[in-house]
Amino acid sequence: MTTYVYGIARDERADPAGPPEPHELPEGLTGVGDPPRPVRVVGGGGLAAVVSDCPERLRPKRRDLLAHQRVLAEVGRWATVLPMRFGSVSDSDEKVRAVLAEHAERYREQLDRLTGRVEYNVKAVHREEVVLHLVLAGNAELRALAAANRATGGGSYEERLRFGELVAHGVREREVRDAALVEDSLRPLAEECRPGPESAGWFVNLSFLLTRPAAERLLTTAAGLEKSHPQLDLKVHGPLPPYSFVTP
Amino acid sequence: MSVVPERQSGGAGGTSGLYDVLELVLDRGLVIDAFVRVSLVGIEILKIDIRVVVASVDTYLRFAEACNRLDLEAGPHRSPGLPDLVGEVTESGARGKAKGALSGAAQTVTDALGQAREKGESRVRRATGSRKDKEESE
Repeated sequence: MTTYVYGIARDERADPAGPPEPHELPEGLTGVGDPPRPVRVVGGGGLAAVVSDCPERLRPKRRDLLAHQRVLAEVGRWATVLPMRFGSVSDSDEKVRAVLAEHAERYREQLDRLTGRVEYNVKAVHREEVVLHLVLAGNAELRALAAANRATGGGSYEERLRFGELVAHGVREREVRDAALVEDSLRPLAEECRPGPESAGWFVNLSFLLTRPAAERLLTTAAGLEKSHPQLDLKVHGPLPPYSFVTP
Repeated sequence: MSVVPERQSGGAGGTSGLYDVLELVLDRGLVIDAFVRVSLVGIEILKIDIRVVVASVDTYLRFAEACNRLDLEAGPHRSPGLPDLVGEVTESGARGKAKGALSGAAQTVTDALGQAREKGESRVRRATGSRKDKEESE
């Protein structure tokens, strides 16, 4: 039986060899698998790995990705936790204990650094009609082209293509400006800032490490940005386990 | 602005913004050499760079069409961000116009990720057809 590892927290139990105490894990917390496997704690080196049995042939299905995130969110209610990347599997509980003991100092340092901190991920897209309006409003040549195209029922295919390309260029310029605006506004609130994974199509994708009070300010500032710049559509996710701020 | 309080979204059906978080679950977090990582085969959909779509001929034509619809007479020379601009956008949204390309493209990937959102949720606006993988929706 292999062991699925969700994250690493401090082990503050009176008897590290014993079962987790009632306050340490929410009752009935389950993780990956179908049926979902019960979540438990494996202690070692003053640390506690949050684990469950790993189902055979585990694949990155929506249900299991969500379970990983949910377990970390639940554990995060009562403890600072170093989140593992999805899909980390150990041969056995014994090997988990050995890894904890071997790297205990490093993990404890990270737990100290991250105590009281949460991650917020901020993404931005443009509200299309607003940004198009902005692009045209700032460019007389584009407005003249738009008027000419409209006068001829939208213009020829080539004319529309050329016009649309110019507009797209203007939209990308606006993306660069607005990305700087968002980052410059939010970054001073955070202790650390990392770019999000590159896979997405947002013109802003940033993760911030924040204290709880700073997180409140981030939400307020983001809402203010949207109000003053209605072309901005910000998607703020958090509080999250500090996925982007752990190091091996 | 959409704010998703993750700790309230962990329960059944709480899949709002799932894609935004899953990329972190998949690409970030602690990796320990002594542990094996599960193969991510089957989830390449996350890696599609949807910005490619934004720079396409289709987008150029759609921008041109969208600009034709814009009411420039409403105030092309006004500074951006005036309240009437907001009102205009809200109004056009109420008329049920298609959402913009940029967030729309993002939505496509969100949907393609595999019906992450619950049925009936209003944010699901597009079907993506061929990329859907029934198994991933389990």
